[in-house]
Amino acid sequence: MSEAASANAPKPSSSVKLVLLGEAAVGKSSLVLRFVNNDFQENKEPTIGAAFLTQKCSLPTRTIKFEIWDTAGQERFASLAPMYYRNAQAALVVYDVTKPSSLTKAKHWVAELQRQASPGIVIALVGNKLDLTNDGGDVSEAAGAAQGESESAQNGDEGAGDEDEVQDAVSGDARKVSTREATGYAEEEGLLFFETSAKTGTNVVDVFTAIANAIPESSLKTGRGTGAGTGQTSLGNRSAEDSRVNLGDRNAATAKEGCAC
Amino acid sequence: MIPWSSFVQKAQSLIDPANFNIPALSSPDHNPSKASLFRQQFRLPDSQNPLQEITADLVLPLPNSSANQGDGSRKVDRAGNTYTGRLHLSERFICFSTQPTSFIPSATASASTAWTGQTHGTGPSGNGFVLPLSCIRRVERLHSASHVFSLALTTWNGLLNKQQEPNLVPQRLILQLVGSRQACERFCDTLKKGLREGMKEVDNLRTVVTDCYSEYLLSGAKGKGQDGNEADTRQPPDAGLGLIFRYPGDARKLRDRSKMRLWGEYFRENGRNATLIRQPTFHKLIRVGLPNRLRGEIWELTSGSLFLRLQSPMLYQQTLAKFDGQESLAIDEIEKDLNRSLPEYPGFQSEEGIGRLRRVLTAYSWIDPEIGYCQAMNIVVAALLIYMSEAQAFFLLSALCDRLLPGYYSTTMYGTLLDQKVFESLVEKTMPVLWDHLTKSDVQLSVVSLPWFLSLYINSMPLVFAFRVLDVFFLEGPKVLFQVGLAILRVNGEELLETQDDGSFISVLKSYFSRLDESAHPRSENPKLRAITRFQELMVVAFKEFSGITHSTITETREKHKGAVLENIETFAKRTSIRNLGPESKRLSVDDLGTIYDRFYETLYQWEQRQRVIEEETRRQERKRSQRLSMLAPPADTQVGRVGLGPSPTHMDYEAFREFLAATSKWAVADSPGPSGKESSSGKSALWANRRQPADHEFMQRLYRKWATNPEEGLNLQNVVNGLARLKGSPDIMNNINYFFDLYDDSGNGQVDREGILKISEALLFLSRRGFEGTITATPSVENLNSTADRDHAENSLTTDEKFLGSVSAFIRRCFEYADPSHSENRKADQQDATAEATEKLDSFAIGDDDDEEVEEEDLIDVDDAKPASSPAPPDSTAQTAKSTTPEVSHDHNRSTSESANPALDPNNPLHITLPTFRMVVLADELLEQFFESYFPQSFHLSDHPHPAALAASSSMSSNLTTFSNLGSIRSSGLAAGAAPVAGASGGIVPPGKGLRGVLDNIVSDGIRMAAEVKKRMDEAQRDLERNALGREEDEDDEDDEDYPRRENTAAAIPGGIPSWGAGAYGADTERRSVVRDADRDLLEGAEVLGGGKEERNSLLDGKDDANHAPRKVVGSAASAKDGGSPTARDGEVISKLVEFDS
Repeated sequence: MSEAASANAPKPSSSVKLVLLGEAAVGKSSLVLRFVNNDFQENKEPTIGAAFLTQKCSLPTRTIKFEIWDTAGQERFASLAPMYYRNAQAALVVYDVTKPSSLTKAKHWVAELQRQASPGIVIALVGNKLDLTNDGGDVSEAAGAAQGESESAQNGDEGAGDEDEVQDAVSGDARKVSTREATGYAEEEGLLFFETSAKTGTNVVDVFTAIANAIPESSLKTGRGTGAGTGQTSLGNRSAEDSRVNLGDRNAATAKEGCAC
Repeated sequence: MIPWSSFVQKAQSLIDPANFNIPALSSPDHNPSKASLFRQQFRLPDSQNPLQEITADLVLPLPNSSANQGDGSRKVDRAGNTYTGRLHLSERFICFSTQPTSFIPSATASASTAWTGQTHGTGPSGNGFVLPLSCIRRVERLHSASHVFSLALTTWNGLLNKQQEPNLVPQRLILQLVGSRQACERFCDTLKKGLREGMKEVDNLRTVVTDCYSEYLLSGAKGKGQDGNEADTRQPPDAGLGLIFRYPGDARKLRDRSKMRLWGEYFRENGRNATLIRQPTFHKLIRVGLPNRLRGEIWELTSGSLFLRLQSPMLYQQTLAKFDGQESLAIDEIEKDLNRSLPEYPGFQSEEGIGRLRRVLTAYSWIDPEIGYCQAMNIVVAALLIYMSEAQAFFLLSALCDRLLPGYYSTTMYGTLLDQKVFESLVEKTMPVLWDHLTKSDVQLSVVSLPWFLSLYINSMPLVFAFRVLDVFFLEGPKVLFQVGLAILRVNGEELLETQDDGSFISVLKSYFSRLDESAHPRSENPKLRAITRFQELMVVAFKEFSGITHSTITETREKHKGAVLENIETFAKRTSIRNLGPESKRLSVDDLGTIYDRFYETLYQWEQRQRVIEEETRRQERKRSQRLSMLAPPADTQVGRVGLGPSPTHMDYEAFREFLAATSKWAVADSPGPSGKESSSGKSALWANRRQPADHEFMQRLYRKWATNPEEGLNLQNVVNGLARLKGSPDIMNNINYFFDLYDDSGNGQVDREGILKISEALLFLSRRGFEGTITATPSVENLNSTADRDHAENSLTTDEKFLGSVSAFIRRCFEYADPSHSENRKADQQDATAEATEKLDSFAIGDDDDEEVEEEDLIDVDDAKPASSPAPPDSTAQTAKSTTPEVSHDHNRSTSESANPALDPNNPLHITLPTFRMVVLADELLEQFFESYFPQSFHLSDHPHPAALAASSSMSSNLTTFSNLGSIRSSGLAAGAAPVAGASGGIVPPGKGLRGVLDNIVSDGIRMAAEVKKRMDEAQRDLERNALGREEDEDDEDDEDYPRRENTAAAIPGGIPSWGAGAYGADTERRSVVRDADRDLLEGAEVLGGGKEERNSLLDGKDDANHAPRKVVGSAASAKDGGSPTARDGEVISKLVEFDS
């Protein structure tokens, strides 16, 4: 419904189905919440099945409306995943930079998507919880914008898995997956790659912008009738550094956290 | 709602209680057993079985209203409500329901039956009661007019409190049994028995009951104004976190106080908690929503989890204590979610609430490790904990997982997926227009509805409303979830028809849920109509409009979709697990991997089923243990082992591995139908007699050990894939030769000793005994088997198999020819000194060797230990015994190998071959080369060939079996495996008329004999050596003679080295044994049939009986009506007391 509030003349708008996959408690829901509502909750309810949210992303030439399917991460929910990535044009495969096993799981998801999802799906590999590492915000290939004084890592995005972090918080760095390792893998598989922090917001919007840009024009349908309450974000497609979410009060919206309904 | 009509079932059964100790196995047609339907209907623990059942009238005293309190009870005891229904008796419970049962009364407990009646297996609906026998304080037999068999039950209702309740009237109900005198007596007998047992559980009952808020409520401790003020002497029982952190919702708006009063009144009139009697008001009170403090208790009661708690009241605390401090994957997962379970409720922002949640989830994960922990359980349990204590929530969770939501939280979540399919198909059926719209606009319904079911609407609707749904859900069962789901779609139908995609679909529903408390008809003139909230409207639609959705609808639909859903899950699991197999697996094609996967799990599944059947049989033997060990474990009649159903075994042991190989390679199928000796002892044979039997050969054991990362634990899929990938993955002959060599390089030092060489040759024969499937052809030009030109022609007419035999023989010869002596340089110098040492070592060698033949299992260990010790075994002493071997070896092939073989076969002359030698020897022979190049890897059939099992079943098998034809196949006829026993030990005696095949058989068995002979000689030589070392002076000839009997023994044992060829002696023996078993089984089955027959007759009799008594019944009820008129008269009529318990 809400037409692009940016002053620009109406641009062609199209919707993109995006699915988030990854191990439990790596921060999938938090990434979405940050992107959609520019918000962060320490204790986010685990996603049951999947949550559905929408968000618009404005590019110079067009507007992309993301229909985001945020899936449950627990291993046994994996068999439900095909239900959600069906017809998805983009996928965010998320892992936790402080948890190597989550990268393994992410690789499995990538393989699954490459074989089972729609051909041409744009996949982005995202290492989340950057705020728990020393390099807080200033790594990341795509957008080097140092975000932050987030060294004082207190807690996981989802308030979970703090055992490791407690020890490492002393040294200030809980990173267990090197950027190099993940980049290497991403390049090999032809994935977009980012390291983010849903907590501080580092790189979150950049991920979605990059995906929006990577979706081939041809695969875009013109927007289906919407009706979902959407928050909206106008994204300048300037250089990644200054691309910032313009989250005015407009995005109060109904797209809230949580459950699929 | 529930039809109140009550009627009498026509048939009545006399069921032999003895039949009910057997927990039913899942029946092939997947219909639930009567016992499970019975338990389901009355929400009884799995230990209960229907023992007796009889038609009866329940006469309830008229409620003594609070107004006329004071002058005793009986005065007002005019006839209250009378219900006609069925009375059921199980080991520990007496149940009455006006709802007809969902099972055929005459069915045996374990037999599956079609659905009948109206309850369709839902929970305790209708009017009646489910009383634990321990609740019954006294049973009297009333002698009333006109032959009515009446019992008066007095319960412990309200008497278990320390404090005497004011104005308490003991609860007393009258049951008038309708049936033949005999039937009534029988019922009473069983009841008597049960009551005696029940008496022991009164203490449990007391413990359990004190946790119920109703006791506190009625004890008068709080006086009349029970709400609000906490200024009281007695502590109220734990009614959940709500007592501390307030219950969700506005108590006033929910009219909590008046609900409480209504329930108080109901309890006073109809009993509370364990002694509650269901009357129509009960169901109505639940429909309007439970009061906060009683909610937990009523949930516990209606779901039947109260009875679980009654069964072992301390289980929760004990479980926590038992596993205190231990860690598990489930616990890690639980920890992750503790902070995010209903975080908006204040109780779960505190350590108190989180602690309770942690303990309940953890305890459950221990008690049901197959489920462990599944996200969504945290939300459900968090919700439960608002209204009930930890222990109550623990048992309720167990009832949820086992009975109400089967398979929802399992590791594959098949229950969830299945119910989504069911829901979709119900939508399609009931709302075709909406369904069409959804399909057209590509909206996937389950995406929306899955969380509804998985978390019981708790995180979809506002809490207050979700709890209202739960109130009914616990009473009426899973169908409620469907009814509510359908109603949601119906109510929003119009709006939903306008949506075009998932997004808008979801947001319509989201906004609907957020406005559930608003008026459904805001603009109505009628204020009453305006007062109806959307939620009320929803409930009405759900239970009125969709009243046709019954438990049986659900069950039937589930049955219909189950196969497809499981298959889907399995496909997914397969895809995932194949993809995650790692780099090694890339050497095999995806099809091959798929085949391996399927075969692997198929084998495991069947193996599991087999174990189960055996277990079940053993349990049958010890009938006493009718109760399952762990009361909370999943019911006995569930399927197990199927991947889609959840946790399945992941490792196969050697026995299962043999099965796997037999399905993969022809050579791994046994020739004789009987299982090898040691296996038959476990009693599996009878059940599996008509399957192809896997062979058991040393080679297979070697493979097993080679493939397993940990032989103790067994092989997992990864091991098998890696193993096969190495064999089949590269078409490189060198690789295959190396692999084979490795298999026999026991010491890992790149050497295979004499024993090893012989074993290799045995393995070659073993592998080739079923022909080469055309993978090997001898070209005449490179004919190297025969030197003489004039035989060429004859040779060419020989089959490849024969030639291969020659190759193997040549292989042995060459190996010995080119073998290197072991460590000769060190040893020769100092013979004498080394003798003692040598003896020792050879001793161990000999032991290991013997075991090798007789106890294969042990060989796994012994050989490893013994071989390294023996390989450096030293010196060359005398022992010309070996000489005689040479003619034997060369006999069939007209080759003189004596020169080279003689020293080589001398066991005192240790030698070994190295990999290069082995390679050279193999490559020197065209057939062996081909063997390693193509046959060996290809003999593992994956996706590239038809399943060998299918081959085996077909008649083409026999033609493929070049060597071992259908000797004695008459005996094995009917065996799908069709593998014929082979007379290996009978030395190739061929029945006449076998023609060429007979000749071949001869040749092959000669070959076998040859290998056996070689081995035997070696053994003898060793023994000689041994003896020499012990007492050197003995005469060798004598020794030989003495040795004879022994030798025979070994001779018998030696073919056992190739046990599948093991023919004669013990093959026949095992077969005989298995025959006996079969007969045993037949007997057993006969008995069962007899039993069943008897029952059939009984029930027939019954039917007649009942017909006879039908008129009497009418009289009976007339009499009861009359009785009702003069209650005081009945007082004195207590003539005979059945049982009296006044402990």
